[in-house]
Amino acid sequence: MNQAQPGETRRDAGPSRQPRMTPPPASIVWGVAIAITVLIIYSSRELVLLLFFSAALAYLINPLVKRAESAVIRREVAVTGIFIALIVGLLATAYFLVPRLRTEANALSGGWPSFTQRLDEAVDAIQTEIVADYPTARRLFPEREARYDKLNAFIEHQTANFPNLVGHLATIALAGVLIPFFTYFLLRDSHRMIQFLMDRLPAAQIETSVAVWCGIDRIIGRYLRGLAIDGMVIGTAAALGLWVLGVNYPLILGAFSGMANVVPYLGPILGGGVAMLTALIQFKSLAPLGKVLTLYFSIKILDDVVIQPMTIGHSVHLHPMLLIASVIVGGHAFGLIGMIVAVPAVTMLQETTKLMLERRRYYAGLPVTHPRRGGPIQHFVC
Amino acid sequence: MANFHWREWATDTEQLRRLHLLEKVPLFADLSRRQLGKLLVKLFEKEYAPGETIFLEGEPGKALFIVLDGMVSIFHSGHGAEERVATLAPGGYFGELALIDDLPRSASTRADEHSALLILYKSHFDDLIEGHSTIAIRVMGNLLKALAGYVRAAHARSAALSPTLSGIAAVLPQGEKPSERPDR
Repeated sequence: MNQAQPGETRRDAGPSRQPRMTPPPASIVWGVAIAITVLIIYSSRELVLLLFFSAALAYLINPLVKRAESAVIRREVAVTGIFIALIVGLLATAYFLVPRLRTEANALSGGWPSFTQRLDEAVDAIQTEIVADYPTARRLFPEREARYDKLNAFIEHQTANFPNLVGHLATIALAGVLIPFFTYFLLRDSHRMIQFLMDRLPAAQIETSVAVWCGIDRIIGRYLRGLAIDGMVIGTAAALGLWVLGVNYPLILGAFSGMANVVPYLGPILGGGVAMLTALIQFKSLAPLGKVLTLYFSIKILDDVVIQPMTIGHSVHLHPMLLIASVIVGGHAFGLIGMIVAVPAVTMLQETTKLMLERRRYYAGLPVTHPRRGGPIQHFVC
Repeated sequence: MANFHWREWATDTEQLRRLHLLEKVPLFADLSRRQLGKLLVKLFEKEYAPGETIFLEGEPGKALFIVLDGMVSIFHSGHGAEERVATLAPGGYFGELALIDDLPRSASTRADEHSALLILYKSHFDDLIEGHSTIAIRVMGNLLKALAGYVRAAHARSAALSPTLSGIAAVLPQGEKPSERPDR
């Protein structure tokens, strides 16, 4: 009567036997491990971000190293040679570009104390222009004093973090030294790290485990290199366009637009917004503002239709909603840098999950590939 | 002062050894040394102990394997028993179908002795051929030649078996095909 049924555990094994500890399910172990990893990353996020930037830079330089390696040149020699060439190239660029940029930056900082006043004058001129054409629009605009106070408050709020930024100059300078340092060693020793991991991975799992790394490596490499080329093209186009339109500081604004472009969706708005603000203060008229808006709108269309498909292509297969959500979450967790690294980080997570699910299907005895992925089958050969 | 041979100093001798091996692999025949160099940087190396499984039949295929050192055997499990299909020496390759699709493996492989294999993952191969159409055409051409060879061999085997099958069909009762015969 007390006989245990199949699949049932017998609990009355005897008074002397201790109850056996059952290990927790694998999903709980994985969940705890992931939570601890996220906590460690978050608590040491400054270092993680430095490493992330270094890895991104290493990805950009890696094709040059691979090119040298394909000519059977030792990796150490190739990396050192490329670093020396890059430093020489950067110094030469700085020699020609820095004086021009410094002139623009000096002119910009010279006009900074009276910025609110100049902006207020520009807004006033535009209001007058609109009211001249549409007199009924007058009641839509606030009184000059109220507007000036609002503008002042807005600018004070936006520039509140500037002293903080100056205080972080030492950290920024340290990052400027550490990032190239980490990049050099990542480039030089990455193949050793991979080999170290490959030697320790179980032989039976080497194929599928490393395949996911190769997939991620391909996607991230293509995405980052594409993003860099895209940023350079956008920056150059914006600088040229602004120069043609006669807007002040075209080099700085172009460089800013190119760099801002790495932040999905928000970057182009930020780049265009700053250029429009500059044009507003300079021209105090609606027509040039419209021209700058048209310029940035045209660059955005050109980017979406021509440049991005050629550079980034379809390397990142993220749903637009997931992409925006990852940018917002990245921004909340790590600020502006978090917004930049959000897309590659989520892509890595997506690819890893895909492989884990595929392995799960394999061990569950289910087909690992979708039937639609197979090509047409001809049932005869001759 | 003795002459400093910078070219020898800068050359990676291990990579050079791998390059010489790739030159002998039939799948990469007709590729120039420069093209082989591009392929070389995409390869990983893994060492296997004697008797260690490289992959099992039915597992998802993700990579091509090239024997760098040692010996590797390929097994096919049919009718419950394991049958050795081939043994490969340095320069031999296997798992080439993974470069075409990621369907499950059609055979299992095991290292017969301490072996070193070069691994080319499909994603890296795809990356390579996307930017280098000449490499793509030549490798795919060699792969097609290999597949045509397998198909012809399979045809020859089935042709050799057909008299036996005809004999079986002759002794069966009238109107009953071998495939329709119920299992007993």
